[in-house]
Amino acid sequence: MKHLLKKIAMLAVAGGIAASAQASPEADREAFQNFYKNRFASVPMEEYPNGVYSIDPVGRENWEAIEEFPPYEPFIDEGQAMWEKPFANGKTYKDCFADGPAIAGIYPLWDKKNGMVITLPLALNKCREANGEKPLKYKKGSINDILSYIAYESRGQKTNVIIPKDDPRALAAYEKGKKFYYTRRGQLNFSCANCHLQNAGMNIRADRLGPALGHTTHFPVYRSKWGTVGTLHRRVTGCNKQVRAKPFKAQGEQYRNLEYFLTYMSNGLELNGPGARK
Amino acid sequence: MQNKMIGYVMILAMLLFGGLSTVQAADGAKATNPEAAKVEKMIADADKARKKAASVEGEWRDVGKMLKKAKAALAKGDYKTAKKLAAKAKSQGEMGYKQAVAQKDLKMPSYLKY
Repeated sequence: MKHLLKKIAMLAVAGGIAASAQASPEADREAFQNFYKNRFASVPMEEYPNGVYSIDPVGRENWEAIEEFPPYEPFIDEGQAMWEKPFANGKTYKDCFADGPAIAGIYPLWDKKNGMVITLPLALNKCREANGEKPLKYKKGSINDILSYIAYESRGQKTNVIIPKDDPRALAAYEKGKKFYYTRRGQLNFSCANCHLQNAGMNIRADRLGPALGHTTHFPVYRSKWGTVGTLHRRVTGCNKQVRAKPFKAQGEQYRNLEYFLTYMSNGLELNGPGARK
Repeated sequence: MQNKMIGYVMILAMLLFGGLSTVQAADGAKATNPEAAKVEKMIADADKARKKAASVEGEWRDVGKMLKKAKAALAKGDYKTAKKLAAKAKSQGEMGYKQAVAQKDLKMPSYLKY
């Protein structure tokens, strides 16, 4: 009898794991957000776009002081000039993005025609290439100017990633991103979730680990460490390097799918980019 | 005249064989240096392990750098350093592969409540 109960308990645990591994994106998001609601009960949901400063009062004081003279402002101005400057063929970004420049809220999106996740930086480069311009680099440089401008113009929009039900490839891309997020990698054997979910709020050396919820709302971000503004994929590259894993290509399939999953987890949160971080 | 001819042929033969033997000696040194060949194989094996890990998205950060350094050490004749680096790279390549394969299936953490 004892043996049978043990077996039933093991089956129930295994069943639970399998069920959550195959849960719907909405169930994933609910579990994800509830985790933070329980861990940081006093932090209102609308605070999470502020990243680690939603849970670190000392860091927040410094950040608020920095935000009085935002270090990303010159990048917004540069980005506006880029947006308005015609390409060599006379067209502008506006010809690609009729609703622009406040378009950050619709990205990342599923491109049914090409069967892939399209992020904002990728869409910008597709526009440039379609107009005979050279694509911009995906981690550093002037892509951050135009992204800063678009992010600034999109402030206040709500994160609203859609996984269309009429194309199973979209869900598969989301699942791949989810798998990436929970997979331990590198010599240190850490997954994204180990730091930003399981240990959010704990210290790693002198730094507080920020919650993953809201991670995608404030990019591109000016990091004091970088001394400039950088893209989300640059930051993810840094994370992978920190756990001693070989990073993947910025805007490659792995990071685009990861962005699709991670941004979906923040659905409902307000966009507040560009941000400033340590 | 005939003697002169024989003399030229002999000089030519000496030059030719002398040159050949120098080349053969250099190749022989490389081929018969078991240490160099051993290190070369170790580096090739480590690179194979790195590629295997990369095929399952499990390559670790420093394996490629280690292999570069191992090749440079081999070129300088520093076999001890080259061997050490190649062995470390191979071990990390193998561990990266095992790590990725062990997580082939997604397992959600128990702290997430569904």
